[in-house]
Amino acid sequence: MKKEALEPRKAFHQQLDDLYYELLRMMVKTLDILEETRKAFKRLDVAKASEVINHDDVIDFYRSHIEEEGIELLARQAPVASDLRLIVVIMRMAQHLERVADLCVNICKAIKNLEGIEISTWIQEGIETMFEHSKKMLTLTMEAFMRMNLDLVDNLNQMDEKIDHINRSFFTAFDKDSSKELDLIIRVVMISRFIERIADHAVDMGEHLRFLVTGHAE
Amino acid sequence: MKSNLEVENLIVEKDKEVGKEMAKLGNKIEIRDLSMYYDSFKVLENITMSIPCRSIVALIGPSGCGKSSLLRCINRMNDLIPNSKVEGEILLDGENIYNPSCEVIELRRRVGMVFQKPNPFPKSVYDNVSFGPQVMGIDNKKEMDEIVEASLKKAALWDEVKDKLRTSALSLSGGQQQRLCIARALAVQPEVILFDEPCSALDPVATQKIEDLLIELKENYTIVIVTHNMQQAARISDITAFLLMEVQGEPGRLIEYSDTNKIFTNPSDYRTERYITGRFG
Repeated sequence: MKKEALEPRKAFHQQLDDLYYELLRMMVKTLDILEETRKAFKRLDVAKASEVINHDDVIDFYRSHIEEEGIELLARQAPVASDLRLIVVIMRMAQHLERVADLCVNICKAIKNLEGIEISTWIQEGIETMFEHSKKMLTLTMEAFMRMNLDLVDNLNQMDEKIDHINRSFFTAFDKDSSKELDLIIRVVMISRFIERIADHAVDMGEHLRFLVTGHAE
Repeated sequence: MKSNLEVENLIVEKDKEVGKEMAKLGNKIEIRDLSMYYDSFKVLENITMSIPCRSIVALIGPSGCGKSSLLRCINRMNDLIPNSKVEGEILLDGENIYNPSCEVIELRRRVGMVFQKPNPFPKSVYDNVSFGPQVMGIDNKKEMDEIVEASLKKAALWDEVKDKLRTSALSLSGGQQQRLCIARALAVQPEVILFDEPCSALDPVATQKIEDLLIELKENYTIVIVTHNMQQAARISDITAFLLMEVQGEPGRLIEYSDTNKIFTNPSDYRTERYITGRFG
């Protein structure tokens, strides 16, 4: 088309771009929080866990800001087609990220209760692997969203199964080894469950991305 | 309280009914391979589309893409433009309206038209509506009163003008005048109504009234509307046609023709996408 230099809705598309970058920033911030949570668990670092808990309002702020801007664009600009899908997906993604950050807070609260307790290596390793996997899933989702590339989120389901598997293994392992302290068992199972939920959010975000790119809701 | 299963069954039954209703209707108009020329200039090329009975089809596209020309082909209004020429065919209930045997006057009774600017005759409200039926030979006063009342009611204007049927149509507001023009079109019992940007000269409230009216009229008539307002197409039409003249001087072509829902959430053609999202215009 010859006359594309003339873009009638430039101002609106600028606002949409801003919203998109705001979500990318929120994604980076959420990944940071997940990484801090991983470190806090690895070292059973109560101070770091408290830091994560106290920083949660940053993510809440991102979420409410993105939601407000999104609603305003929907109300005032009547977006259609890929613009419409982008706004809806950005708002959904922000909600998932907020939940991911909340789960990190839950994990950190559990970590605070583990202070001074010795954790066996196999538990350490299992949880560490779950952290690594869920981080990888979130990172892939973010990269896919930045490049609008669906190939990157193709394997999310498989990765999620690995996490589910480790999560389930904790239950059976504790069955055999019931001499462990009940308190420890409960905390670890909770933490494992929280990470498993984080991975589920990554899978959901991958699906939203698919809708954004293809226009088909699964 | 109904159980979930009962509610589900109810929904399935309802869907079936709606499906049957739609299937029964079929196509009112079929445009086949239509090209149109003004002198040697080709305005439209190879337009093919089926317009279902009792639906609203919106024609959208940038200025000059030929959407008004296409609309005017449907009741042969272009015949009035010297040196205009049409190739291909338009079937109305299966009959080609460009057959030499087609009665153009009868065609225009069956396919009415409402224009961009309200254009009532400088006569009374009553005379505006009774004009068509009178030309058709209705001279019974009582019958005429009934036609006028029914037409004004269908056009959602009756309550506003019933006490001033004898005053000049020009004393009405713009929105009222446009509804009067719709009543005038309805008075001759058309089957199809063509609207050429019916709201572009109206304020937002008058526009909303006309849009509501079109949705009501869809129950009984087939409607084709040209609109510059994309959101209007999104709000009221069942099917949207996107026409585009890609290069200045080339004819307009039909780029995409699908469910309005599909066009405005996930269009198939990148040119539709770019146009409706305002990336070119």
